[in-house]
Amino acid sequence: MAAKIKDYYELLGVKRGASDDDIKKSYRALARKFHPDLNPGDKSAEEQFKQVQEAYDVLSNAEDRKLYDEYGDNWRAVKAGAGPPPPGWEGPTGQRSTRGARAGGFDFNDFDFGSFRTSGEGGFDIFEELFRGAGRGRGQRSDRGRDVEAELELSLEEAHQGGRRTLQMQSGKTIDVNIPAGVRDGSTVRLAGQGGAGSNGSEAGDLYLHIRLRPHPVFRVNGDDLEVELPIAPWEAVLGAKVEAPTIDGRVEVTVPAGAKSEQRLRLRGQGLNKRNGGRGDEYVRLKIVVPTDVSAEERRLFEELKRVSRFQPRS
Amino acid sequence: MWPGDADLDEPVSCEVVAQTVGARRSLVVRLAHQGLIETVEGGTDEPLVPRRVVVQLRRMQRLRRDLGVNFAGAAVILDLVGRIEQLNRELAEIRRGRR
Repeated sequence: MAAKIKDYYELLGVKRGASDDDIKKSYRALARKFHPDLNPGDKSAEEQFKQVQEAYDVLSNAEDRKLYDEYGDNWRAVKAGAGPPPPGWEGPTGQRSTRGARAGGFDFNDFDFGSFRTSGEGGFDIFEELFRGAGRGRGQRSDRGRDVEAELELSLEEAHQGGRRTLQMQSGKTIDVNIPAGVRDGSTVRLAGQGGAGSNGSEAGDLYLHIRLRPHPVFRVNGDDLEVELPIAPWEAVLGAKVEAPTIDGRVEVTVPAGAKSEQRLRLRGQGLNKRNGGRGDEYVRLKIVVPTDVSAEERRLFEELKRVSRFQPRS
Repeated sequence: MWPGDADLDEPVSCEVVAQTVGARRSLVVRLAHQGLIETVEGGTDEPLVPRRVVVQLRRMQRLRRDLGVNFAGAAVILDLVGRIEQLNRELAEIRRGRR
């Protein structure tokens, strides 16, 4: 079922008789709020902008606005020459048309935003499509295909190790992409010739993939370095210990020095993320001394004994 | 390296960038001279720019068209948005670390 189109005037927050200046002013205010370039990665803002943009495109064009005012949702069909809708057909604000037949309407389902798919986990969302005529400004001297920008969400492991992803375009075409080891959050890669098709034999546009990394449940990323919190027992901190710590490649044994402090950081050289041009960052293991909350009678007896014999003064 | 793809660090001429984004070459040259887009040393009279400038320039064009800001304003906006993004990432990491 087609989604009901929102009223363009409502979307822009103006009255039906609003002047062109008022419409432009309102559009600019809403664009400042929801523009995707100002809200990167915010899907809600992107959707809002898409609707505001559509409304402004129509209401800022005198001819389109006139048709919209008269025929509401069906204005595109009328413009395309399908004739006016039948008597009784509802307009954008509930007013009923007294004109002729309708042959298909327009609603947001006519667009196919954000419908890219990947074969792996994570999203691949196209957002360039919502920009009107992006990359086709004045002075364009060829029929080169449109460049397309999209976001590709990766796990930290994928960014570290690299891998292969199959991306499905809106056209149904699939692209195999080799993800190189060492990409980072916010980096952009270009897939030459994988954007929009060119016309008149011109070359296709390019696909720009903006990489987003999903937050990792264990590791915190700091450039090429990783940081992980490692809980240790009080006696491990006092006596020192060999304990296992997670790394991006698996668990490794770490030596906790005797007298270790909470928040102390141990560096595991070369255990961070792969760098794009070779080499690796480091991993920092941040120690966190934790105490048992459910102690046995024997443990309690030993802690009492420790309390009795210890000369440690933590607040002196 | 992404197979078959030019690296975004690759220096290209202002003409190449202009054709890609549908702008005049003189505009790209002017923005490069004004420091509003990144340039690389090329030893030529006309500045060379890294290919990634295409993405930046297209965003500047959209901000100009949709919000009515000039290129200098758009450059500042994109710089600030980049900084906010970085801060948001760091804030999210810090918040996750506190849980």
